[in-house]
Amino acid sequence: MPALRIVADWRALLPAGLLLAVALTQVVLVRVGDLSPWKGGGFGMFATNDGGSFRYVRLFVDAPGRSEETNVTASLEMAATRAQLFPSDRFMTRLGKAVGARELREGRDVATVRVEVWRIEFADQPLRASERRLRTLTIPIERPPLAN
Amino acid sequence: MGPWGVRPLILAAAGWAILSPRALTSSVTWYVLTVLLAVRIVADWPLPDNHIYLLAYWCLALALSLSAVDPARALAISARRLIGVAFLMAVIWKAFLSPDYLDGRFFRVTWLTDARFTDSVQLLGQLSATQLTYNRDLLAPLPEGAELLDPPLPSDPPAFRYLVLMSTWGVLILEALVALTFLRPPAGRASSLHHVSLLLFCGVTYAIAPVAGFGWLLLTMGVALCRPEQRLLRATYVATWFLVLFYSEIPWANLLVSWLSTRSSA
Repeated sequence: MPALRIVADWRALLPAGLLLAVALTQVVLVRVGDLSPWKGGGFGMFATNDGGSFRYVRLFVDAPGRSEETNVTASLEMAATRAQLFPSDRFMTRLGKAVGARELREGRDVATVRVEVWRIEFADQPLRASERRLRTLTIPIERPPLAN
Repeated sequence: MGPWGVRPLILAAAGWAILSPRALTSSVTWYVLTVLLAVRIVADWPLPDNHIYLLAYWCLALALSLSAVDPARALAISARRLIGVAFLMAVIWKAFLSPDYLDGRFFRVTWLTDARFTDSVQLLGQLSATQLTYNRDLLAPLPEGAELLDPPLPSDPPAFRYLVLMSTWGVLILEALVALTFLRPPAGRASSLHHVSLLLFCGVTYAIAPVAGFGWLLLTMGVALCRPEQRLLRATYVATWFLVLFYSEIPWANLLVSWLSTRSSA
């Protein structure tokens, strides 16, 4: 009977069912959240140029009397890669806060950090590259109270 | 390998399974590895590559099949479905979801810009180092909305255009063949078409694609499809495993390019 066969077969069905569920979730996250198709378990690698190599992050630090772009240092690389592959509020805020903490640690004033995620896109005929901003988020940085 | 706390545990569990035949055939070992890999994926998300997910599903399949009435059969069915669904998703991404695959843009850009393919594109696409540098410079991105008044054209020799066409459609057809073969009912014994399509995919793809780990995992799953009496087939999978190792460790394209340039200059 088919029903009995499915029950007996559940052990063989579960791993592939899990794969399919994760893969479909990944497709939704790519569509609604700009997740890179290369990541997230949806098997979209080697299908598009929208991978980590063609995404990058720009960081801008603002404070009274100061507004400048800052580099992604080695200590920020992991957080920056996460934010560029999936520019969600959570990952961008985490990156912005890490930048703010670094600035304060190094004795530089900071009020907000603006995180921008960019993507390089390619047009066909002729083959040309152009940049497009995927998302921007400004993160307020809490400054420690001034000592008397 | 994930966070520092998980890495030694994965290595310890896998090492113990190699040393102890009892641990190797215990579903507990494979449940533990499944959980550790899941922790790794969650902790590192979204950084892990797709084959790490497949590895986690495969460990789960091993754990579940070891408690089945017929473990070998349950494992073979799991392997078929896992490979089938993974390749189906790869085909769906290439054929329907990506705007830049079918028109050849993905491989044009990848061949030109990815430094890992420099030797292969020189060898197979007949692009000289100078042409490659020229094309890479042309692909430097313009600021948002900007356009060049009189854009220079890329160097596009026929061999390169043929390489783009062949890689775009060759990969898609090969992946579609694996997906169709592995998802085709009934889920009985694996036929020679299953083995031929999987071995062909691994033997061709991993000569170029720098993801040997994915190839080794697929080949391991292929071995699970072999019946005990199919010794020659198992040996073919093991030989292909070493072929993928050769591809990943020996810069064969670079050696060929160097040899061809020495020969032509002699």
